[in-house]
Amino acid sequence: MSGGTRGVALAALAASIVLSAAGQLGMKLGMRELHAIGGAHVAAADWAAAVPAASWTGLGLASYVASLLAWLLVLARYPLSYAYPLLGLSYVLVYVCATRWPVFGESATPLRTFGTLLVVAGVVLVSTTRADRTGGASPH
Amino acid sequence: MDELLLIASIALLAAGQVLQKRGAVRHLAAGRGVRHWLRALSSPEIGGAIACLALGTTAWLAVLYRMDVSKAFPILSAGSILVLAASRFLLGEHVSARRWGGALLIAIGVALVAAS
Repeated sequence: MSGGTRGVALAALAASIVLSAAGQLGMKLGMRELHAIGGAHVAAADWAAAVPAASWTGLGLASYVASLLAWLLVLARYPLSYAYPLLGLSYVLVYVCATRWPVFGESATPLRTFGTLLVVAGVVLVSTTRADRTGGASPH
Repeated sequence: MDELLLIASIALLAAGQVLQKRGAVRHLAAGRGVRHWLRALSSPEIGGAIACLALGTTAWLAVLYRMDVSKAFPILSAGSILVLAASRFLLGEHVSARRWGGALLIAIGVALVAAS
Protein backbone atom coordinates (compact mmCIF):
# COMPACT_ATOMS: atom_id res chain seq x y z
CA MET A 1 0.00 0.00 0.00
CA SER A 2 1.52 3.33 -0.99
CA GLY A 3 1.55 6.32 1.32
CA GLY A 4 -1.21 7.98 -0.70
CA THR A 5 -3.68 5.11 -0.66
CA ARG A 6 -2.98 4.48 3.01
CA GLY A 7 -3.86 8.10 3.70
CA VAL A 8 -7.13 7.71 1.77
CA ALA A 9 -8.00 4.48 3.59
CA LEU A 10 -7.24 6.00 6.99
CA ALA A 11 -9.36 9.04 6.14
CA ALA A 12 -12.18 6.73 5.02
CA LEU A 13 -11.93 4.77 8.27
CA ALA A 14 -12.06 7.93 10.37
CA ALA A 15 -14.92 9.26 8.22
CA SER A 16 -16.86 6.03 8.61
CA ILE A 17 -16.60 6.11 12.41
CA VAL A 18 -17.42 9.80 12.72
CA LEU A 19 -20.25 9.75 10.14
CA SER A 20 -21.81 6.72 11.77
CA ALA A 21 -21.88 8.50 15.15
CA ALA A 22 -23.04 11.75 13.53
CA GLY A 23 -25.86 9.83 11.84
CA GLN A 24 -27.18 8.55 15.17
CA LEU A 25 -26.88 11.99 16.78
CA GLY A 26 -28.57 13.69 13.80
CA MET A 27 -31.48 11.24 13.84
CA LYS A 28 -31.81 11.75 17.59
CA LEU A 29 -31.87 15.55 17.20
CA GLY A 30 -34.52 15.21 14.49
CA MET A 31 -36.67 13.05 16.75
CA ARG A 32 -36.16 15.53 19.62
CA GLU A 33 -37.41 18.34 17.40
CA LEU A 34 -40.38 16.22 16.34
CA HIS A 35 -41.13 15.46 19.97
CA ALA A 36 -40.94 19.16 20.80
CA ILE A 37 -43.45 20.29 18.16
CA GLY A 38 -45.84 17.46 19.00
CA GLY A 39 -48.70 16.29 16.83
CA ALA A 40 -50.70 19.52 16.77
CA HIS A 41 -48.68 21.27 14.07
CA VAL A 42 -48.69 18.21 11.88
CA ALA A 43 -52.47 17.92 12.21
CA ALA A 44 -52.80 21.60 11.23
CA ALA A 45 -50.55 20.95 8.21
CA ASP A 46 -48.13 23.56 9.59
CA TRP A 47 -45.23 22.04 7.74
CA ALA A 48 -42.88 24.96 8.46
CA ALA A 49 -42.82 23.85 12.08
CA ALA A 50 -41.58 20.43 11.00
CA VAL A 51 -38.61 21.76 8.99
CA PRO A 52 -35.99 21.47 11.79
CA ALA A 53 -37.12 17.93 12.63
CA ALA A 54 -37.08 16.85 8.99
CA SER A 55 -33.71 18.54 8.35
CA TRP A 56 -31.92 16.90 11.27
CA THR A 57 -33.45 13.53 10.52
CA GLY A 58 -32.51 13.85 6.84
CA LEU A 59 -28.95 14.91 7.73
CA GLY A 60 -28.71 12.00 10.16
CA LEU A 61 -29.90 9.47 7.59
CA ALA A 62 -27.59 10.96 4.92
CA SER A 63 -24.67 10.80 7.33
CA TYR A 64 -25.52 7.17 8.11
CA VAL A 65 -25.61 6.25 4.41
CA ALA A 66 -22.34 8.15 3.84
CA SER A 67 -20.74 6.15 6.68
CA LEU A 68 -21.71 2.93 4.89
CA LEU A 69 -20.13 4.17 1.65
CA ALA A 70 -16.94 5.21 3.48
CA TRP A 71 -16.96 1.77 5.07
CA LEU A 72 -16.95 0.13 1.63
CA LEU A 73 -13.81 2.16 0.78
CA VAL A 74 -12.24 0.92 4.03
CA LEU A 75 -13.09 -2.71 3.27
CA ALA A 76 -11.52 -2.42 -0.16
CA ARG A 77 -8.16 -1.69 1.51
CA TYR A 78 -8.08 -3.14 5.01
CA PRO A 79 -8.87 -6.64 6.24
CA LEU A 80 -12.14 -6.68 8.16
CA SER A 81 -10.39 -7.88 11.32
CA TYR A 82 -8.25 -4.76 11.36
CA ALA A 83 -10.91 -2.18 10.55
CA TYR A 84 -14.09 -3.51 12.14
CA PRO A 85 -13.06 -3.33 15.83
CA LEU A 86 -12.49 0.39 15.38
CA LEU A 87 -16.21 0.78 14.62
CA GLY A 88 -16.67 0.15 18.34
CA LEU A 89 -15.39 3.71 18.71
CA SER A 90 -18.68 5.01 17.32
CA TYR A 91 -20.40 3.74 20.51
CA VAL A 92 -17.98 5.83 22.56
CA LEU A 93 -18.48 8.89 20.34
CA VAL A 94 -22.29 8.71 20.47
CA TYR A 95 -22.27 8.18 24.22
CA VAL A 96 -19.85 11.03 24.98
CA CYS A 97 -21.55 13.50 22.62
CA ALA A 98 -25.10 12.66 23.76
CA THR A 99 -24.23 13.00 27.45
CA ARG A 100 -21.89 16.01 27.13
CA TRP A 101 -23.77 18.25 24.71
CA PRO A 102 -26.60 20.00 26.56
CA VAL A 103 -28.73 20.03 23.37
CA PHE A 104 -29.36 16.28 23.86
CA GLY A 105 -30.31 16.65 27.51
CA GLU A 106 -28.98 13.20 28.43
CA SER A 107 -26.76 12.35 31.37
CA ALA A 108 -24.21 9.61 31.93
CA THR A 109 -24.84 7.19 34.78
CA PRO A 110 -22.16 4.81 36.12
CA LEU A 111 -24.24 1.76 35.12
CA ARG A 112 -24.84 3.00 31.59
CA THR A 113 -21.19 4.02 31.15
CA PHE A 114 -19.93 0.63 32.37
CA GLY A 115 -22.45 -1.21 30.19
CA THR A 116 -21.40 0.78 27.12
CA LEU A 117 -17.71 0.01 27.79
CA LEU A 118 -18.55 -3.71 28.02
CA VAL A 119 -20.38 -3.44 24.69
CA VAL A 120 -17.32 -1.81 23.09
CA ALA A 121 -15.04 -4.55 24.48
CA GLY A 122 -17.48 -7.19 23.20
CA VAL A 123 -17.62 -5.62 19.72
CA VAL A 124 -13.81 -5.65 19.56
CA LEU A 125 -13.67 -9.33 20.61
CA VAL A 126 -16.42 -10.40 18.20
CA SER A 127 -14.84 -8.61 15.26
CA THR A 128 -11.18 -9.52 15.64
CA THR A 129 -10.08 -12.70 13.94
CA ARG A 130 -6.91 -13.74 15.74
CA ALA A 131 -6.62 -17.53 15.77
CA ASP A 132 -9.81 -17.73 13.77
CA ARG A 133 -8.95 -18.87 10.27
CA THR A 134 -12.42 -18.87 8.80
CA GLY A 135 -13.73 -15.80 10.56
CA GLY A 136 -14.41 -12.45 9.01
CA ALA A 137 -14.82 -11.54 5.41
CA SER A 138 -11.80 -10.92 3.27
CA PRO A 139 -12.09 -7.78 1.20
CA HIS A 140 -11.91 -9.78 -2.03
CA MET B 1 -44.09 -0.22 23.61
CA ASP B 2 -40.55 1.20 23.80
CA GLU B 3 -39.13 -2.27 24.38
CA LEU B 4 -41.22 -3.75 21.56
CA LEU B 5 -40.03 -1.12 19.07
CA LEU B 6 -36.44 -1.59 20.18
CA ILE B 7 -36.63 -5.37 19.82
CA ALA B 8 -38.33 -5.07 16.42
CA SER B 9 -35.65 -2.65 15.25
CA ILE B 10 -32.78 -4.88 16.44
CA ALA B 11 -34.32 -8.01 14.90
CA LEU B 12 -35.13 -6.35 11.56
CA LEU B 13 -31.68 -4.80 11.17
CA ALA B 14 -30.00 -8.12 12.06
CA ALA B 15 -32.27 -10.03 9.65
CA GLY B 16 -31.29 -7.52 6.95
CA GLN B 17 -27.61 -8.39 7.48
CA VAL B 18 -28.23 -12.14 7.29
CA LEU B 19 -30.37 -11.79 4.15
CA GLN B 20 -27.69 -9.62 2.49
CA LYS B 21 -25.12 -12.32 3.18
CA ARG B 22 -27.43 -15.04 1.83
CA GLY B 23 -28.15 -13.01 -1.29
CA ALA B 24 -24.48 -12.24 -1.89
CA VAL B 25 -23.47 -15.88 -1.47
CA ARG B 26 -26.27 -17.27 -3.62
CA HIS B 27 -26.15 -14.79 -6.46
CA LEU B 28 -22.69 -13.21 -6.52
CA ALA B 29 -20.55 -16.27 -5.80
CA ALA B 30 -20.75 -17.43 -9.42
CA GLY B 31 -19.49 -14.14 -10.80
CA ARG B 32 -19.68 -10.40 -10.38
CA GLY B 33 -20.69 -9.25 -13.84
CA VAL B 34 -23.64 -6.94 -14.47
CA ARG B 35 -25.88 -9.96 -15.06
CA HIS B 36 -25.04 -11.40 -11.62
CA TRP B 37 -25.58 -8.06 -9.90
CA LEU B 38 -28.98 -7.65 -11.56
CA ARG B 39 -29.97 -11.15 -10.52
CA ALA B 40 -28.78 -10.49 -6.96
CA LEU B 41 -30.62 -7.16 -6.71
CA SER B 42 -33.88 -8.69 -7.95
CA SER B 43 -33.61 -11.76 -5.69
CA PRO B 44 -35.98 -12.34 -2.77
CA GLU B 45 -32.98 -12.31 -0.41
CA ILE B 46 -31.76 -8.83 -1.36
CA GLY B 47 -35.33 -7.52 -1.72
CA GLY B 48 -36.07 -8.88 1.75
CA ALA B 49 -32.84 -7.36 3.06
CA ILE B 50 -33.78 -3.92 1.73
CA ALA B 51 -37.28 -4.22 3.23
CA CYS B 52 -35.84 -5.30 6.60
CA LEU B 53 -33.34 -2.43 6.63
CA ALA B 54 -36.02 0.14 5.68
CA LEU B 55 -38.49 -1.13 8.30
CA GLY B 56 -35.72 -1.53 10.90
CA THR B 57 -34.53 2.05 10.36
CA THR B 58 -38.11 3.36 10.63
CA ALA B 59 -38.57 1.46 13.90
CA TRP B 60 -35.21 2.83 15.04
CA LEU B 61 -36.39 6.43 14.46
CA ALA B 62 -39.48 5.63 16.55
CA VAL B 63 -37.15 4.32 19.28
CA LEU B 64 -35.08 7.52 19.20
CA TYR B 65 -38.33 9.52 19.45
CA ARG B 66 -38.99 7.90 22.82
CA MET B 67 -35.62 7.00 24.30
CA ASP B 68 -32.18 8.52 25.06
CA VAL B 69 -29.73 7.75 22.27
CA SER B 70 -27.06 7.11 24.96
CA LYS B 71 -29.29 4.25 26.12
CA ALA B 72 -30.73 2.97 22.84
CA PHE B 73 -27.53 2.89 20.74
CA PRO B 74 -25.50 0.55 23.01
CA ILE B 75 -28.56 -1.74 23.19
CA LEU B 76 -28.64 -1.87 19.37
CA SER B 77 -25.38 -3.84 19.56
CA ALA B 78 -27.47 -6.84 20.68
CA GLY B 79 -28.09 -7.23 16.94
CA SER B 80 -24.53 -8.46 16.51
CA ILE B 81 -25.32 -11.38 18.87
CA LEU B 82 -28.29 -12.27 16.64
CA VAL B 83 -26.09 -12.04 13.54
CA LEU B 84 -23.47 -14.25 15.21
CA ALA B 85 -26.07 -16.87 16.17
CA ALA B 86 -27.58 -16.76 12.67
CA SER B 87 -24.10 -17.14 11.13
CA ARG B 88 -23.63 -20.30 13.15
CA PHE B 89 -27.08 -21.88 13.02
CA LEU B 90 -28.58 -20.61 9.73
CA LEU B 91 -25.52 -20.05 7.57
CA GLY B 92 -23.42 -22.86 9.09
CA GLU B 93 -20.32 -20.72 9.64
CA HIS B 94 -17.68 -21.57 12.21
CA VAL B 95 -17.81 -19.23 15.22
CA SER B 96 -14.76 -19.19 17.50
CA ALA B 97 -14.84 -19.23 21.31
CA ARG B 98 -13.33 -15.75 21.21
CA ARG B 99 -16.36 -14.45 19.31
CA TRP B 100 -18.85 -16.16 21.66
CA GLY B 101 -16.92 -14.53 24.52
CA GLY B 102 -17.36 -11.16 22.83
CA ALA B 103 -21.08 -11.88 22.39
CA LEU B 104 -21.33 -12.62 26.12
CA LEU B 105 -19.66 -9.29 26.98
CA ILE B 106 -22.08 -7.50 24.66
CA ALA B 107 -25.04 -9.29 26.28
CA ILE B 108 -23.93 -8.27 29.79
CA GLY B 109 -23.25 -4.70 28.61
CA VAL B 110 -26.67 -4.47 26.95
CA ALA B 111 -28.38 -5.81 30.08
CA LEU B 112 -26.63 -3.19 32.24
CA VAL B 113 -27.51 -0.35 29.85
CA ALA B 114 -31.12 -1.58 29.62
CA ALA B 115 -31.35 -1.62 33.42
CA SER B 116 -29.93 1.92 33.67
